[in-house]
Amino acid sequence: MTATDEEFSHRDRCAIVGIGATEYSRDAGRSDLTLATQAALAAIEDAGLAPGDIDGIVRCDMDTVLHNDLADSLGIRELTYWAQVGPGGVAPCAMVGQAVGAILSGQATAVLVFRELRGRSGRRFGRSAAPDAKVGGAGSYDEFFAPHGLLTPGQIFAVMAQRHMIEYGTKKEDLGHIALTCRARANTNPAAQMHARTLTMDQYLSARPIARPLGLFDFCLETDGACAVVVTSAARARDCRKPPVLIRAVAQGSVPDPQPGIQFPALMRASITELPASSVARTLYRRAGLGPRDVDVAQLYDCFTITVLLQLEDWGFCAKGESGQFVADGEIDLGSAVPINTKGGHLSEGYIHGMNHILEGVRQIRGESTSQVPGAEVCLVTSTPLPPGSALMLRAA
Amino acid sequence: MDGTRSARLVPVDDDPDTGGFFEAARRGELVIRECAGCGAVLHLPRAYCHTCGSWAGRWRPVSGFGTLYSWTVVEHQVHPLYPVPYTVVLVELVDVPSVRFVGHVPGAAALVAGQRMQVWFDDTAEVVVPRWRPSR
Repeated sequence: MTATDEEFSHRDRCAIVGIGATEYSRDAGRSDLTLATQAALAAIEDAGLAPGDIDGIVRCDMDTVLHNDLADSLGIRELTYWAQVGPGGVAPCAMVGQAVGAILSGQATAVLVFRELRGRSGRRFGRSAAPDAKVGGAGSYDEFFAPHGLLTPGQIFAVMAQRHMIEYGTKKEDLGHIALTCRARANTNPAAQMHARTLTMDQYLSARPIARPLGLFDFCLETDGACAVVVTSAARARDCRKPPVLIRAVAQGSVPDPQPGIQFPALMRASITELPASSVARTLYRRAGLGPRDVDVAQLYDCFTITVLLQLEDWGFCAKGESGQFVADGEIDLGSAVPINTKGGHLSEGYIHGMNHILEGVRQIRGESTSQVPGAEVCLVTSTPLPPGSALMLRAA
Repeated sequence: MDGTRSARLVPVDDDPDTGGFFEAARRGELVIRECAGCGAVLHLPRAYCHTCGSWAGRWRPVSGFGTLYSWTVVEHQVHPLYPVPYTVVLVELVDVPSVRFVGHVPGAAALVAGQRMQVWFDDTAEVVVPRWRPSR
């Protein structure tokens, strides 16, 4: 069953009115709750609201901070709505979607959406989570993967990158163009962790390999930090401090053979060179009434360079198999077909698990980016790694 | 292949949905799960067949030959039981190409896409694990 657009359209009916972030670092030196609180206060302030105006909170399932933790810390007296979305990096755009649903159904009026993590000083994604006892079972299916040394997200995406090279002749340099493009955007963004460090193709190609064909600069930055946004109705948004950034449309989606578990079973899908982004794209474009040629700028989920490469195809910016040539031609650079990750992305700004991409999408529509796309009116933001995905289309009011 | 045996993570082998896979491996058999009602392949193994609605499944022995679908040579160590470099292979079954398995090959293996692979049964630890190596 599919709802018709007329029945349940949320198009342009809600807006992001506030954004806030902490600094991005390798060791924040303070608690998870403090990080979440600081980002939340900054977002609420940016909206011209007070914590007491917030009546809804949406969190990511992998966050250590609970709804009530943050409500208590902020002094929110009465929460009427809360929700969580996951797993992990799939969440951010879908979290905004939860806020939209809550607002349009009358369950909340102003919803705080946040993601906080101490991804470097706390639990590190790059570390194997496998214990030394027996692994797997209980629906995890790790028993088919961990005993063979397949232990981290980077390793699974390496297998996918290798397959893209096999099927389409994609080159290591193609992935390098993505890393270099994101780095160049970070070099103009003082908040980026890689702000002061340039990156050349020689440096990229000679970097130490992590899981071939992926090397050091194909991996995002394990980061401590927090991001938050405030979502409200388009009507209420007019009273906020800054011009509202309309949520043109939001979508979640999965592939036809999603497979169980968090990540490794995705290697059993019919295609491992296609992300659930392809499904999210169909739904989002339909709901937004827009297509890839309408996108002025995109913030593409980049836990690894390869996820950007695959998404360029999934989102229809180029044909299947042609993303390597597309990036080699500079089509993701400023002034080209689709400028991406204009703050440096997860690869060079920081990895707040998809959430900092939403903040940068808002900045682009406001005209506040450090790599501003002139006259940007439509920004695509994606949270589409594995196993399903979500995405937002933001536009100027 | 004795030179390739070493301590490794041991899989849970008594899960209701996947235990039969390791039970077969103990007998030296590589099996996949299929629906007893309509024959649909249920991989990764699970109880319910959404094609025909049957809950009756069975373990079907397969030949143990595959082709190399993709791989990664791991160079950055993340677990003490897996010294680098090592290679994680993704193998497509010759009998049932829609079914893939992951395997561990020691070292930085020289591999070519589509090359023939063969299963072997690693009985180093208390649970026998089907592994893959290039076929000779």
